Amino acid sequence: MEILRTEKISINFGGLVAVKEVDFSVKEGEILGLIGPNGSGKTTFFNLITGIYKPTKGNIFFGEENIAGLSPHEITKKGIARTFQNTRLFWDLSALDNVLLGMHRWQSISWFNSMFRRNYTAQGLRKNVKEVFNLVNDFVGKELVDRMYQKVRDLSQADKKRVEICRALASRPKLLLLDEPSAGMNPEETVELMEDIKKIKKKNAKIDVIIIEHDMRVIKGITQNVVVFNYGEKIFEGTFEDASANKEVREAYLGGEI
Amino acid sequence: MVNLNTNKTSIRRKRHKKIWHFLTIIIIESFIFYFFISFLALKEVNYNIILLILAAILFIILGRYKNIYGTLVESFSQHNIFSIVFIILLLLTVPFLFRENSYLLHICIMCGLYLIMALGLNIQLGSTGMVNFAFAAFFGVGAYTSALLAVNFQLSFWIGILAAIIMSAIFGLLIGLLTLKSTGFYYALVTMAFQIIFHLLVNNLKFTGGSGGISNIPFPKVGKYSFGSSLRILGVDLPYQSNFYYLILIIALFSIYIAVGLYNSRNGLIWNAIREDEIAAKCLGINVAKGKLEASAIGAVFGGIAGPIYAHYISYISPESFKFDLSVVLICMVILGGLDNILGVILGAILLTVIPEKFRVFAEYRMLFYGAIIIAVLIFRPEGFIPKRIRQYKSLAYGKGK
Repeated sequence: MEILRTEKISINFGGLVAVKEVDFSVKEGEILGLIGPNGSGKTTFFNLITGIYKPTKGNIFFGEENIAGLSPHEITKKGIARTFQNTRLFWDLSALDNVLLGMHRWQSISWFNSMFRRNYTAQGLRKNVKEVFNLVNDFVGKELVDRMYQKVRDLSQADKKRVEICRALASRPKLLLLDEPSAGMNPEETVELMEDIKKIKKKNAKIDVIIIEHDMRVIKGITQNVVVFNYGEKIFEGTFEDASANKEVREAYLGGEI
Repeated sequence: MVNLNTNKTSIRRKRHKKIWHFLTIIIIESFIFYFFISFLALKEVNYNIILLILAAILFIILGRYKNIYGTLVESFSQHNIFSIVFIILLLLTVPFLFRENSYLLHICIMCGLYLIMALGLNIQLGSTGMVNFAFAAFFGVGAYTSALLAVNFQLSFWIGILAAIIMSAIFGLLIGLLTLKSTGFYYALVTMAFQIIFHLLVNNLKFTGGSGGISNIPFPKVGKYSFGSSLRILGVDLPYQSNFYYLILIIALFSIYIAVGLYNSRNGLIWNAIREDEIAAKCLGINVAKGKLEASAIGAVFGGIAGPIYAHYISYISPESFKFDLSVVLICMVILGGLDNILGVILGAILLTVIPEKFRVFAEYRMLFYGAIIIAVLIFRPEGFIPKRIRQYKSLAYGKGK
């Protein structure tokens, strides 16, 4: 069963066609790699799915629903979570608050409760704090749990990326979009990250992950299939081995023959 | 047997610690209260300045030595109910201390009014990051609503204040809707325009009385008792201002209660998320437009509560009271006190009300001092008197849980 399917989606910025008639689909329970040279439209594609950009043409189906044209928070409410290429965290808040905010999707907020039922609100928050600690402990480990009360601004680059992934996971998504999760990490941290992403799958077999990555070891290590973009068009779909043997893909990455 | 003994000593130690904490709270709060009262009551300028410098030095020392600061925080956070009750008891005595000098009582009332407004502005400026230059307009909407109802339709103050709350909330929503797309500097600029429009409108419309304003606004009444008559408690005659003092004390405490509740709830957290990064907030399923509208309306309600009290207390309002200057002063209070820190905002509001009043002796140089203080604070404590802190969920635990 397909959880996400796009039908000929395109977006133009003025005269530039950033994404051009892409048909794309993810099957349930899959980890899909999205690769391509710089400027090939991968992040724009993510922005289209999450509603930050509205597609000029085409449809996006999430489950049965057409989500093209909905606003980002409505799309997120349906169960899509993402991280950002250039790490967008709430910098002045603690790591704990960042992950707590990730839970917003499945929570209801009452004005009356927050103004007058203090104990009830506090208890709810404390329960969520415990859940955050469990989540971070399962996903990353004890070291990050100890740093949860620090401002995210003061964390290391790798920890910032981890907090961002935890924040996305806290929303209990059906589909997780990771935009270059290993950027700014050293080789050991990248290996750890791969283990962590595999752990997500182990915990919840139903979750789908689409991952944009420039580090081919990550793609090779954790994805089942890859989709290759070039100049806004999908040029290949299949396993990583096939992709690396494909002539068109090689040309896209290394340039055409002279 | 040994176990029992150690248990006993630990209980005793705990009791000692508790007494020590209570003492610290009593001493610190009494000192602050005494300092505030004597600062208000002093007439000679040089004493004022010496006291101010002493307070500043004390503040810096406390800030530097984390040990002292730590014990203070510990005792206040562990016995917060006691500390609140004690400071309220102290505040209740103010009209008795100032019964000879109603002008000082007037300053205290203005402190309360500014405090309520600063708390409302803090929701917008501190929590949500909306640099709202139109807050005086919310105050004005509240004041004019209740004043017009009282003068034209002889409606009571209590109905007026309800109407003022509704009107200011609507006005807040309206400004929120019209500024929804603009952020940062653009938002500030648009709200400035709204502030100027409001001032020009009330200055030129006929039914608001034009530049002459509205006079003879009646005092509030409870049954047959008018707030204009002098209050008699325990055989002591207090000036009529004390009625308003107690009213504003109740409303200010309630405002603080609501503001603290909102800060500690998920709503406060969501506002912070909007302040930090709107796109990331949207991608977590947060409805940014709704959050901003809520902040705009709820902040406006705080202004809408302060407005009627001011109008019925002074019994005269004119467009001059709701000018752009007031908005700037309120923003100074919030920034100087500490953005998104309720204690800081309270401190900022009180200091920036009292200090210019005490510098009245310098006549036209008064505003110069005002400016100098703002510059000095922003150089030495750029994040305000009490900077915003990281949310602690342990203190929410009320003694149990993690």
